[in-house]
This record gives sequence, structure tokens and C-alpha cells, in this order.
Amino acid sequence: MTAWLLMLPALTLLAVVFLAPLARYAWLSAHATSVLTALEPVANGGANWLRLAQDGRFWQDAGQTLRFAAVSVGLELLLGLALALLLRGPRGGRAAGGGLRTAVLLPWALPATVMALGWRWIYNEPHGPLNSLLIAAGLPPYPFLSTPASTWFAVVVADVWRSTPFVALLLLAGLQAIPPELEEALVLEGADRWQILRRLLLPLLSPWIGLAALFRLAQALGVFDLIQVLTGGGPAGSTESLALYAYLNAMRFLDFGYGATVLLATFLLLLLPGLLWLMWQRRAGSAA
Amino acid sequence: MSLGLLLGVALPHSLAAGAVPSPLTVRVLMPASFADATAEPVKRFNVAHRDLQVEVVRGPLDGDTLSDLAVSGLLLGDTPYDLLLIDQTWTARYAAAGWLAPLEPLLGEDALDGMVAGARLATRFDGHLWRFPLQGDTGLLYWRTDLMDRPPRDTAELESISRRLQRHGRVRWGYLWQGRQYEGLSCVVSEALQAFGAHWWEPGRGVVGGRPSLEGPEAVAAVRWLQHLILSGISPPAVVGFAENEALQLFAAGEAAFLRNWPYAYALLQEGGGPVAGHVGVTTLVGAPGQRGAGTLGSWGLALLRSSPHPREAASVLRWLGGEEVQRHLAQRYGYAPTWTSLYEDESLQRDLPLLAVQRRALEGAVVRPVTPLYAQLSDVLQRQVNGLLSGGGSPAAAITTSQGQSELVLRAAAGTTG
Repeated sequence: MTAWLLMLPALTLLAVVFLAPLARYAWLSAHATSVLTALEPVANGGANWLRLAQDGRFWQDAGQTLRFAAVSVGLELLLGLALALLLRGPRGGRAAGGGLRTAVLLPWALPATVMALGWRWIYNEPHGPLNSLLIAAGLPPYPFLSTPASTWFAVVVADVWRSTPFVALLLLAGLQAIPPELEEALVLEGADRWQILRRLLLPLLSPWIGLAALFRLAQALGVFDLIQVLTGGGPAGSTESLALYAYLNAMRFLDFGYGATVLLATFLLLLLPGLLWLMWQRRAGSAA
Repeated sequence: MSLGLLLGVALPHSLAAGAVPSPLTVRVLMPASFADATAEPVKRFNVAHRDLQVEVVRGPLDGDTLSDLAVSGLLLGDTPYDLLLIDQTWTARYAAAGWLAPLEPLLGEDALDGMVAGARLATRFDGHLWRFPLQGDTGLLYWRTDLMDRPPRDTAELESISRRLQRHGRVRWGYLWQGRQYEGLSCVVSEALQAFGAHWWEPGRGVVGGRPSLEGPEAVAAVRWLQHLILSGISPPAVVGFAENEALQLFAAGEAAFLRNWPYAYALLQEGGGPVAGHVGVTTLVGAPGQRGAGTLGSWGLALLRSSPHPREAASVLRWLGGEEVQRHLAQRYGYAPTWTSLYEDESLQRDLPLLAVQRRALEGAVVRPVTPLYAQLSDVLQRQVNGLLSGGGSPAAAITTSQGQSELVLRAAAGTTG
């Protein structure tokens, strides 16, 4: 009883900021609320959900969003780990000074829209810096933002550039939490660097890697501003994310019933990685 | 809430102190560019009027962002604005959402009678007048006076001139336009449709205001031409990522013979001091041989919000802001196309503005994008299909068939939701 009472403030907060909006979305998704109903909600049974099931664009966006999140977060973890190891310096020392660490963190500190505008310029054909390099090397300029494949890759590169520092910083914190004695002991035993990484650092770092992956996946699956500014979802919708589609439905099309349906469906899809992580944590917890 | 409380307390207090009743303020939300352009006349208005003040709120520069801002306020039912400067394509949507007040009861049915016919397009929906045009910009064709004696008369000439100049190494590219997946592409496509004798939309009755009409070989020919421009090397492959600025920069660098853009580009190109300065001509967009070309209407206009507590005063400010005095200022200083016939016939303006005659011709024949509350969806469908065709290949016929099919689907889905 007391336990529940003590949890009451937290639960209330959760209900207000989390459950209430969800309930509202669920209610909206069972209604037509668009310009054709003068924005008045009109119950329409499951019409929105039926439409969603047949909406090729939603499923295409879902696939694109998942692929974007998987590839960019994967790359960020790899590069972030490498960067963290570099910043940490040999044997737990603090090789990198504050200045260097600040410099590494800069891309993360930039607002996403600003950095997306910057990348749009970097990819500009033929005046952007990237094409200037190509031309200087005697190669023909390349329209990076003109084909679905190259545009998709361009978005991933921009996201990796921005988010790797965040992963690196998180993993650096994790590395610094590992007692140096453990590593010294391994060195005395004659372990080489590769063995230290594989047998000691990676296992002890795994909860941090999991945390970084969770944070980044949650963000990447909801990616909006970067894509909105860099590509607008194009070319031909090949970089459109679920968040962008939900935004279009609500704010541009003023179709709030369907917009809420898309948002709710997206939320349910995004729950998946969260649940997977929880399960993985449970298993790791029970194994320990 | 707290604001209301504050006002409620502050107002009687100031009256009690014997102060003059504070003047009524009409608030207008505009994109930053228009807010800056109207700043001077608004200042003059406020000096001349003691009891009525105009406060222009500088919104974001980008139209869609401005729409997001306005929509957020309107949805919350608590918007501080009386007037909104809206894009032509928002008119039907905002009206259907119930956010706007009809203007004809306040201004009269003949309020737009002195305007060029093209400027009156997309001002009415469902029998009411909703938008008072402040400016009548249209898409225009920019050409290089140093590379040719006269501009092309049709699409075939545009192609042959481009090819010749490219072959002789005078320019790298022939024709630059906007192919990025955004509203600018819809404008380009609506111009191409017109150039080949096709129509995007057939106006009609009902809540939707018509039906998509992209069937037929003319529409296919229109998008095939856009694809052909890229495949034949007249337009660079990068146009599928171009918005206005990217196209303008490349043309300003002297790398192309032709450019499709809005009137604002003229001053930037002609007086910019770049390689093309002094060599820029402007004409109306060309049609296919035997067809009439036309520019898309890109008009912004003022709308009165239903929630305005003083619609009468707001309407009088609207009438003044959209009137000849302000439009003359906008044309003289910023090159915006006026909507009033009287300004086009004004001799001093004709002397000062080299573009005025072309702007009038373009405005008289302007092509309008579908006037329907579902416009944003239809535009989105067309953008995706055409951008896909231009960037990924495929057949123009398939792109048009799919666009028509998906547009019909949008209408059906919308109809389904109204029960």
C-alpha cells in the first residue's frame, strides 16, 4: 500500500505525459477528423486501420525507416567504439585532452536542421565541397541527392557524422568505468591488444553498448528533421521516414484521424526494439 | 489564460488613469520576406492612423513552415492573429477547415474586379471569397541575351537552341528548373501539363471541388518531355535535387541558357554582378509547338481569420494591405508582380520595371494548381511519381497512370472518412 502511495507521483506523471496522449491517439484513430469533416471527429469504425493495412506507402516507409536505423546505428556503434578507444588512449590513461573531446562532440551539439542544411550544401552538384574535391581530382561531379540509392547513402552518412560522437562519449564513459587493474592483470598474463578488447573490454562494455544502441535506435526510428531538411523524403519518397509521413498527414494534409493512426502504428512498431532490449537485459541479468 | 487575466486587469486600470483608449491593433502573420517588404508602408499607416494599428508578425521564411506555425495556433483555437498571408494552394484547405471568414460580406462581391483575371484565380472556393491577392507572381522563363537574339517560342525551339549552344561549348546545360520532391516540382509539372495541352484538375461541385484529370496522352507527353530534357542532356541529372536556389546559382554562374524561376530571380541575376549580369532576358514559359505555354500562379494573398475579434477593422486593413499603394511599393522595391490592372497601366511603373509587361502577360494566362481542400495530398502524389520517374527511370505513361490512380484513391479515402 505504502509502496503504491510512494509511486503515485511518478505514476501520475507517466499517465499525464505518456498514457493520456496515447489514449487520445487511439481515440482519434477511430475517427475521421479532416478538412472534409471541417475538423470535427466523426466515428468511422476501423476505416483508418483498414486504410493503413492497404497503404503501400506506410509499409514502404516502415521498411525504409528500419533499414535506415539499423545501418546508421550499426555504423555509429562501430565508429563510436573505435573513437572511444582512441580517445581513451593506451591502458586506461586519459590520452585525449578536453579540447579534443570537445571537438569530437561538436557535430552532436549542432542543431539537426542546421547540420542538415550544411550537408545539403556539401552534396550540392556541382558547387558543393564534395563535388569540388571530385572535380579537383579530375573526376566528373556526381549528383549525390538525385538517385534513390545515393541519396539514401547520403542521409546515412550525415546521420553517422552527427551521432557517432554521442555513441563515442557514452562508450568512453563505459571504458573509464572499467578498473585499470583488470587490464594490467591481463597484460601481465601476456594478452595482446586484440585479446584485451575481445576478452575484457567488450564484455564489460556490453551494457553500455546496449544502452547506446537503445538510445540511438529510438532516435533513428523517429528520424524527422534531418530527412525533412536534407531530402524532403525524396527522391520519389525513397528516404521518407514514418515520422515524416505522420507529420505530412497531420500538419500538411490536416487528416488527423489517419495521422494519429500512422503515429500509433509507428509507436507499436518502435516498441519492438525496446522489448527486445528488455528481454536481452533480463537474460543477461539472469545469466549473471 | 494568463494573458486574458492580465488584459482584464490592465485595461480598466489605464482607463481609470484617464488615458486615451488604446488603439485597436490588427495582427498579421506573414512570411519574413513579406513582413520585411511591407514594413515601410505599414509604418506609414501606423503614423497616419491613431485608432487603428497594424502589427506585422514576422513568420518563418519558408512557406510550409509558416503554414505549420499558423495551423498549430489555429488547431489550439487560440491564435493571436487577425489576418494571415497565405499561399494560393492553402485557400480551399483553410476554408474547409473552418478557419477563415468569407470576405465578400465585408468587401463586396466586386472586391477583386479591378484585378487582372489570372490574379483572381484560386481566391474563391465553395461560393465564397477567402483570399485577397497581395501579389500575382507566376513562373517565368529566363534566357541569356548574350547567347541568342530572341527567346524560344516553343519547347522545340528551346531544345534546338540549347543543343546548338551546348554543341558549340557556349554553355554546359540548356534548361534549368526545379525537380526536387517538393512543391516547386508541382509547379513545374503543372506548367508542363499546360504546355502540352493537359490539365491536372477538372473543377466541379462538392466538398472536394472537382476531380483529377490526368488521363490521356497529353499528360503523358508532358512528363515525358521533362524526362527527355534530362535524358538528352539538356537539363543536368542534378535538377531532380534542385529547388529554386540551386537552379538559380547554376544559371547565375553562366552554366545554362535557360532557367525557370519566379520574378524575384531577375534582380538577383541582373544586378548580382555575376557572369550573366546584364545579359538576362525574361519571357513567358513556352508551350509545345501549337500549344500555349503558361506559368504557374504562385500568388500569396491575405485571409481573414474567423476567430478575429474585430473582423470589420481587420477587413479594412486587409483591403489596404492588398491595395494599390502597398502593391506599388512591393513592385517597385521588390519586383513582386502586382494584381491590380491599374498598376500595370501606370506609365511610371512601366518605365521603372522592365519586367512589368511580361508579368502581366504571364499573369493573364497563368495556370492554377487544383483548388481543393485535398490539394496537399494531390501535390504530394504527383511530386513522388514525377520525381521517381525523373530520378529512377521508368515509363512516363506508368507515372501518369499511377498518379491518376493514387489521386482518385486520395479522394475515395477522404470520401470514405466523411461516411
